[in-house]
Amino acid sequence: MNKLRKSLFRLLLILPMLGIAMVANGQSDPTGKSEATRTYAITNATIVQAPGKIMEEGTIVIKDGLITAIGKNVSIPSNAEVIDGTDMYLYPGFIDGMSNTAADRPEAMERPDNLFTPDPPNDYAGITPEHHVAGQIDVEENSIDGMRKVGFAISHTVPYGRMLPGSGALLLLRDVDHADDMILSEDVSMFTQFSGAPGAYPGNTLGIMAKFRTLYRNAEYSKKHADMYAENPAGISRPTRDRVSEAFYPVVTNQKPIFYDASSSLEARRAMRLQKELGFSLVLGNLQEGWDLADEIKASGTKVFMSLDLPKEPKASKEDDKSEEMAKLEERRMEFYKKYVSQYSELKNAGVKFGFSTIDTRGNQVKDNLMTIIENGLSEDDALAALTTNPADLLGISEMVGTLDQGKIGNVIVSTGPYFEKDSQLKYVFVDGDKHEYEIKDNKKKSGDTENSESTSEGSSSIVGTWSYSFTTPQGEQTGSMIIKKDGDFYTGTLTSDDGTPDNDMVNISFVNDALDFEFSVDAGGQSIDVVVNGTVTENEYEAEATVTAFNISFPLLATKEAPEK
Amino acid sequence: MKNSITTNIFALLMLVLCTTIVQGQAKKGSVLIKNGTVLTITDGTLENTDVLVKDGKIDRIGKNLKAPRGAEEVDATGLFVMPGIIDAHSHIAGSSINEGTSQVTAEVSMEDVVDPLDVSIYRALAGGVTSIHLMHGSANVIGGQNETLKLRWGSTNPNDLRFEGAPRTIKFALGENPTRGGRSRGIQPQSRMGVEAMLRNTFNDAIKYRDAWNEYRANKNSRKVAPEYSLRMETMVDILEGEVLVHCHSYRADEIYMLMKVFADFGIEKLTFQHANEAYKVAPELAEFGASASVFADWWAYKLEVYYSTAYNAAILTKNGVTTSINSDSGELIRHLFHEAAKTQKYGDLSDNEALALITLNPAKQLGINDRVGSLEKGKDADIAIFDKHPLSIYAVPQMTFVDGVKYFDINNDAADQRIYIDPESTIQDVQIFYAEDQHRCMEGADVINFYDLLNKQ
Amino acid sequence: MKKFLSILCTLALIPVLAFSQIERAVTSKFALTNAKIYTVTNGIIENGTIIINNGIIEAVGANINIPGDAQVIDYSGQEIYPGMIDSGTNLGLSEISSISEANDFREFGDITPHMQALTAVNPNSVAIPVTRVNGVTTALTMPAGGPLPGTAATINLFGYTPDQMFAGSKGVVMNFPSSAQRGWRRRTPEQIEKARERAQETINDAWDKAELYAKIQGSDDARYYPEMEALTKVINGEVLLYIEVNAAKDILSALEWVEERGYKNVVFTGVSEGWRVADSIAAAGIPVITGPVLSTPTRGSDAYDTAYKNPGIMQKAGIKVALRTNDTENARNLPYNAGFAATYGMGREEALKAVTINAAQIMGVGDQIGSIEVGKKANIFVSTGDPFQTSTKILDVFIDGYKIPMTSRHTELYDEFLNRTPGLNKNPVKTDG
Repeated sequence: MNKLRKSLFRLLLILPMLGIAMVANGQSDPTGKSEATRTYAITNATIVQAPGKIMEEGTIVIKDGLITAIGKNVSIPSNAEVIDGTDMYLYPGFIDGMSNTAADRPEAMERPDNLFTPDPPNDYAGITPEHHVAGQIDVEENSIDGMRKVGFAISHTVPYGRMLPGSGALLLLRDVDHADDMILSEDVSMFTQFSGAPGAYPGNTLGIMAKFRTLYRNAEYSKKHADMYAENPAGISRPTRDRVSEAFYPVVTNQKPIFYDASSSLEARRAMRLQKELGFSLVLGNLQEGWDLADEIKASGTKVFMSLDLPKEPKASKEDDKSEEMAKLEERRMEFYKKYVSQYSELKNAGVKFGFSTIDTRGNQVKDNLMTIIENGLSEDDALAALTTNPADLLGISEMVGTLDQGKIGNVIVSTGPYFEKDSQLKYVFVDGDKHEYEIKDNKKKSGDTENSESTSEGSSSIVGTWSYSFTTPQGEQTGSMIIKKDGDFYTGTLTSDDGTPDNDMVNISFVNDALDFEFSVDAGGQSIDVVVNGTVTENEYEAEATVTAFNISFPLLATKEAPEK
Repeated sequence: MKNSITTNIFALLMLVLCTTIVQGQAKKGSVLIKNGTVLTITDGTLENTDVLVKDGKIDRIGKNLKAPRGAEEVDATGLFVMPGIIDAHSHIAGSSINEGTSQVTAEVSMEDVVDPLDVSIYRALAGGVTSIHLMHGSANVIGGQNETLKLRWGSTNPNDLRFEGAPRTIKFALGENPTRGGRSRGIQPQSRMGVEAMLRNTFNDAIKYRDAWNEYRANKNSRKVAPEYSLRMETMVDILEGEVLVHCHSYRADEIYMLMKVFADFGIEKLTFQHANEAYKVAPELAEFGASASVFADWWAYKLEVYYSTAYNAAILTKNGVTTSINSDSGELIRHLFHEAAKTQKYGDLSDNEALALITLNPAKQLGINDRVGSLEKGKDADIAIFDKHPLSIYAVPQMTFVDGVKYFDINNDAADQRIYIDPESTIQDVQIFYAEDQHRCMEGADVINFYDLLNKQ
Repeated sequence: MKKFLSILCTLALIPVLAFSQIERAVTSKFALTNAKIYTVTNGIIENGTIIINNGIIEAVGANINIPGDAQVIDYSGQEIYPGMIDSGTNLGLSEISSISEANDFREFGDITPHMQALTAVNPNSVAIPVTRVNGVTTALTMPAGGPLPGTAATINLFGYTPDQMFAGSKGVVMNFPSSAQRGWRRRTPEQIEKARERAQETINDAWDKAELYAKIQGSDDARYYPEMEALTKVINGEVLLYIEVNAAKDILSALEWVEERGYKNVVFTGVSEGWRVADSIAAAGIPVITGPVLSTPTRGSDAYDTAYKNPGIMQKAGIKVALRTNDTENARNLPYNAGFAATYGMGREEALKAVTINAAQIMGVGDQIGSIEVGKKANIFVSTGDPFQTSTKILDVFIDGYKIPMTSRHTELYDEFLNRTPGLNKNPVKTDG
């Protein structure tokens, strides 16, 4: 049902967009949605061109996608839309080092009959390095605006999948009809992660490491063979077509880097160990536990993007007569929390240049987490660098983006105050010279603590009620109802099933800033299988991903809230 | 021309040397352990004797030795000093245990999944253990390569636990575990017959692979195409060449016998049977082949293939000339291997030295590290455990444990919370109740629940 | 021909002759002399004698008149102890733990207190001789499973029917709702709490109903309700209530629960974190069965020897402690569990009590077994020394006054295979003519 709605929605969108194309076909734009001009001037603003390079009372002119002028006294073109930038702060658009933004989630592959688990088909095992994320972009994806509105103009997007999902692309987070219009650069990386095949080889880290080595070595030999054959085929057996090996050719020649989602320190070390053995260019795309790794990172020449995901701050218990043991354990736990939040400044001080990755973060957590990181030692300039100039360097696009300079692409953030101030908000985000405007919320109503499951916005975004969901697995579609109630400060919920199987309790329900997460357990033959659901609520729609943690498999889950009965 | 080649080779050698030196960064210590009862294993029991350790090696064993400047002195008067205990079958310190999706996974290696953050490592040190053989699980006929580790607790870098220079070893498995895997996935093997067939098939494939690659390498023509590269077959060839020691999980006498015949056919000489509950039934054959056994002290009856076991297994094997060790295969049992070894005095009257050898020199031999550890001799690594009573006494309490001369456990300096990694989102009162069966990790990850069928039921 | 026939006859007889070599348990009037006797309740008797008759200890002492018709066994240089009691096993109920058909301690259902472990015991289980030759003469064998899995029974490890084995004590088992993680499973605190609440409700409902049933039992209103009848036996004090509870928080909840309910014949089992709340348990006067001592700590943040020290700490706080292995095929390791408990704080004397008289008293049969006293059952063993030491040999075991054959599967296989015939080389068969 939801797919149909989606297609209809898309159709509706296309019609007015055709307005632009329709101009060439003699049509005008009846929706009035097209912009009047593609020239903008923001005047009298504090322009942070780069970390530490600030221009007071400056003006910036963006025309046809580029920054054409920037300075204190620049002439403003007559056709420009002028925005008064007084009291505003401008920054270069942020660059996301690795994320799934705009990537379409592929449908889970049906398990083949008579699956031979030791040697499954490559696509079932998740070994598809030849796929390009550029071919999997969904221009409707919520994440595009989700990331853009918190300041990201460019995302290095990688595909969803298992061990080798495919190559990444650099995308401008634009609002367009055609995916191609978003692409800044395609096929820029080979993405890989420690995610095994479902119930088949390679199943876990052991098999994944060995499989990676085997694929790499075979690619080296295969390339030699292919090169030799291309030069002079006489007397040499014909190379067999092997898309997986071919995808590795630019990697074995160090022309294309490997982006590893290896977040724990053990995983990161495993990635570096493969790099040492095989010799490819390695980028740790989502490092979460980097505090011990500075020396190894520097020695190996590995590039790093640090995760913007932080653990929740542990709260000490408020008991009066806390035992000494309890106090000590809480202290140790806090010590480790501190390691997570202070590692950014420590790595910077150790000489590691890094960018940020949002692959494990939601857009609405980015600012809060950045503030926490800054509270724990990273300077604002270094934070800004990690959002702009560092990723531009690491991704090789610093000539085009990363700073606000004449001639660079018009990726500009306009903030109501200094970005690193808690209450400042982004009013405009320019991506590729197109303006996106955002509503400024009245801060007086904002409550301080949003830790517990309180509904922060009443009325329209309340999740209480009955939803009808559908959950797609290889066995087909499962449907039923999701009934959510509020009990004091906490949510409770039940999942029912249309096919009559027993209800499941929804536990650990968290709803913060449009993000609805919960868990439930399925009892299968005496064994409890845990499923974690993470998703976003938009109006009455819930788009989520249900992950079976034990098997590391995910399925899409969509739900629609039913209108309350009168 | 000649000069530049020499310089090149020299430079290459220097590079190799430098990298190895950089890698061998394990902490090494110096210490003088004074006036203890020294259980050397290879040279009898020496009363009131000192052990001098310099830079991680045993420098001298004798009386009235002097400590080098700066070295710690330990007064071992009234205490017992023995070689650090070696556990030849362990699954602690590993992030994953079993790549159970295929019946042949020789290409995978436990060295890729070493987990130095496992607090079981410290608890093993507190039981006098200094080295472990981190093994792959037993769901596959030919499993993954194992990794020999030293318990250098406190580092977050897996490389710091490597037992540098230890020979490569690999896990095989016979009997109910691999056949259960085959049955649950609808593939071979599903019987002991199939297990043998799979072994022979794989070795034969390896011979073909070796021949193809030898031919390729011998081919002088520069325009030659390489055969397909298989890390799995590379490892199998290494086994055939005797470069990888095979440790085979097995129980029944007939399958133990079968494997020796297969190995004889393929010219593989070094073999250690793990668990081998029925090895006692073919002790003469094991001695004849030269195979070793690494067994439990008294686990039995938990599966059909161990229903006909005897706790006298280790004693029978020892008395029939088979090099035998006692292992734990458990994060619980590893902490009192000295007590497990002592059981052989009850079940079979082994002498003190014979019993202690089961957890020191013999496992060292089986892992190919007996030139480095397993006894207290000059020149060996200073992996040492100190007890307040004879280690075979039930009343003995481990006091200190040294690895490479560095003290990693001291009962007088033992904080309760030894974790070196704490999840900030964990609860404080994280209580876990374990039952005996939860500790046996050999089949972890290999129990293939057909998830898709489960979802269907749901 | 005649020669051939006689050879044939001899050959035919061999199997018969072989059978008659089996050692049997024998009962008689016994006089065990010249041993060091650890009575447990009345100190140590150097050079003592025990007279056993009709399965009972008739006399114990240093200067005893030995009856003329007694079979005298001279145990000079040896030691005699009361038979050890393992207060938590599945002996007789599990033959091979990985084969479901071979396990009889777990029945389907949450509320099944009427399931009788005793009658399901297999007296001929291979593990029973294996256990008793190590000096463990008696065991509490228990059902397992849901909140109320069944009724456990104390059995002597000798007899050919469950009734011959029954040692006179039964108890309903209850698994108290748990706030702990089970093994390697990772559940969130909310999930655990939810499950715990549900289990608590189930249990409270069952006991509420049972209390009502206890009142109306015997009247016309009472229907056939075996589950409730079983619980009534607890309420009436006829059987014990064994409450399995481990986490510190749960132990405190269980103490509250017991006080609210007012049941008097309660025993806590498991009690892995008892050391954390020892004073509270002691104040309530509830006895404890704990073990295995050879366990890993319950928390990642706990010291490595927490489980070893647990029984000693509880005992010093004034709790009556008995030890269990919680095992089946290795219940024979009870003395080594006791040895570790002794080493890590309990001391030899208290550890010995924990596997003898304490266990007997906790099970309500302290007047029958658990120590060497006149009038008690003849459950004893003879050893070369301290039974906690692995170098000690158990020479003889008496259960109910029967002298038990000191053989088991393990010893038989040792005898057969120490020097196997044929060895490596099989002799060629000689043929006639």
